[in-house]
Amino acid sequence: MALRGFTRKFRPVELLTEEEVEAIHRGTLEVLWKTGIRMEHERALKLLDRNGCKVDYHEMRVRIPPALVEESLRKCPSVFGVKARDSKNDLMVGGNTTYLSPFPGMQTVDLDTWEPRTATRKEFYDGLTVEDGLETISLIQQYTPYFAFEGVPPVMAMPECMAGKIRSSAKVVAEGYSNGSEVFTIQMAQAVGAEAFVPCLPASPLAYYYDAIEAALRGVEAGFPIKEATGPVPGGTAPATIAGAIISANAELIGALVLLQLVKPGTRIILSDLIFPQNMKSGSPAFGAIGSSLHSAGFNQMWRRYGVPTSNTASITSSKQIDFQAGYEKAISALLFTLSGASLLQFHGAIYGELTHHPVQAILDDDVAGMIGRFIQGIEVSDETLAIDLIEEVGPIPGHFLNKAHTRKWWKLEQFVPRAADRLTYPEWMKSGKKSCLDYARERMEEILAAHKPTPLTSGQEEDIERILEEARKYYKEKGLITEEEMAAYRENMKSPDYPYG
Amino acid sequence: MSVEVLENLKKAIIEYDGEAAASWARKAVEGKIDPIKALDTMTVAIREVGEGFGRGDLWLPDLVGAADAMTSAMPIIEEEIKRIGVERESLGTVVIGTVYGDIHSIGKTMVATLLTAYGFAVNDLGINVTAESFVEGIKRYNADILAMSSLMTTTAPEQRKVIETLKEEGLRDKVKIMVGGGAITQEFADSIGTDGYDPTAAGAVKLASSLIGR
Repeated sequence: MALRGFTRKFRPVELLTEEEVEAIHRGTLEVLWKTGIRMEHERALKLLDRNGCKVDYHEMRVRIPPALVEESLRKCPSVFGVKARDSKNDLMVGGNTTYLSPFPGMQTVDLDTWEPRTATRKEFYDGLTVEDGLETISLIQQYTPYFAFEGVPPVMAMPECMAGKIRSSAKVVAEGYSNGSEVFTIQMAQAVGAEAFVPCLPASPLAYYYDAIEAALRGVEAGFPIKEATGPVPGGTAPATIAGAIISANAELIGALVLLQLVKPGTRIILSDLIFPQNMKSGSPAFGAIGSSLHSAGFNQMWRRYGVPTSNTASITSSKQIDFQAGYEKAISALLFTLSGASLLQFHGAIYGELTHHPVQAILDDDVAGMIGRFIQGIEVSDETLAIDLIEEVGPIPGHFLNKAHTRKWWKLEQFVPRAADRLTYPEWMKSGKKSCLDYARERMEEILAAHKPTPLTSGQEEDIERILEEARKYYKEKGLITEEEMAAYRENMKSPDYPYG
Repeated sequence: MSVEVLENLKKAIIEYDGEAAASWARKAVEGKIDPIKALDTMTVAIREVGEGFGRGDLWLPDLVGAADAMTSAMPIIEEEIKRIGVERESLGTVVIGTVYGDIHSIGKTMVATLLTAYGFAVNDLGINVTAESFVEGIKRYNADILAMSSLMTTTAPEQRKVIETLKEEGLRDKVKIMVGGGAITQEFADSIGTDGYDPTAAGAVKLASSLIGR
């Protein structure tokens, strides 16, 4: 069962003064009005035009007046519910609660050589079983565990991956889009009575392509919540300064937010930043850099002013292995995102950037999530926890607390006990073969895969999912996006006796 | 009646309830239940909790809580055993303490509690215990086993000093010596001439039993 998130008991960490928040806000309004956003979607431009924006149809650029921005921000709900296939897993996004979720990799890694490779169908489904089995995961995120798996034509990746999520978990799900795949993924969620976050992704700096707007409009039409996610690289596709990158990212996100609130006021939106400074040697993003945490802390503070929930996404690493660097880069960012008030974190399982993921890493991250979650729940203060009478009863040495009912009750509530961490004494550790957390995580993965059974679909629901997949296959085949050879290999893959799970 | 009383005695220990354990022990005595049977029942209870601890289902506070509950019922049953004239000896007499210079008590207390629950007569000298105090304790209680704890590498050598002092007093061969604590290793325990070492409190009970041939 998914935990009902972690609720923070204290004020979030805030890095910006009130004056700095206002300066960033004014700057964002200025960029939206002066520079504007390129939006390659004519229907969207026309709607914005009718509502007081300045539109240049030749450049496909929209300039949004401050009053419309502020009105649109007010229309966004600050707290909202999202329906899961099983109502006990419904989410209530916003406020002081932080939910955690996995972050994908395009590929899996070999745990001995640490080299990346494409996941098999079975590995894809196993990864989802682990996501469903981990208590600190409340949402099965888009693209997780892997962007795709063997034997599936690229254009069918999103429908197949959404089908996998719905089959493998009764938690809230989300899926990405490509080539209009949202038409099919939205139908799948509807077939099982669930909602799904539909993403809307700008291209930095300051642009939206047709697909991004079209997917979001389809999501709004279905009445689904939208996850707007931007990923500028400060120094590359945004200013190198953190304040400038916040303005640039926020202007991008507000561009679509204004449009969506015009289409359907009150549309549920969560805003995500996936921001890494540019690695000035290689040109790739510097995954795991502390700059991401600084950005997100400022980002979360700005959106708290606007009253719209945020999701931070950069809990990933530049390491290619599950090692010390992966541990500190992921844990530090996840902790800082949570302390600064993110409503949602994308975290579990990711290793190098968005390139690799492994369920063993997700299991280690489950422990980190538990530690962070325990921390934000803070210190319980009551007559019982102050324990003054108990301290009096025990007195000085030789008194002790180990034999007290108070200890038996409270230690489990106060302590978080990690599942994969090595906590043995030296003699025990040597006796057990000097195992590390990585060994324990591998064991736990085997345990989860052997014992955890996700809530199955009804046979009617399974038929619906397979029917929608078949419609997608036909649609993309007719559009010429699946070749004859690809289709033949795909049909062969589907003949497996374990289909769809292996 | 007797079955019900013994079941409740066992339940009280498994539920860490010292008051209930003492009360059911008194009811056992009033009901003329064989006190040896009552003692066996308590041993079964503490072993059950010990097994749960070994499996990882239970934790130290549970183990110590059960041992403590058993310790509250023990004197009542023991008195009855004495009264009816059945000879029931303790498994052995233990003198235990944390060595001089070291004020860490909890590991030593855990071992003392578990040894008591398993039927040893335990004399806990406390913490910061000098070699002279250990010698005096061994003489006074006619101990079978000396158990010493030290948590720090800086106080571990004190264990050697205690053993040297015992030799000078001609007492070394009269007691079995077991050691433990965070700073102690098997290698160190061997080098100072002890009879045994175990890294865990549960293991210390087994060690003590084997040292006196039980």
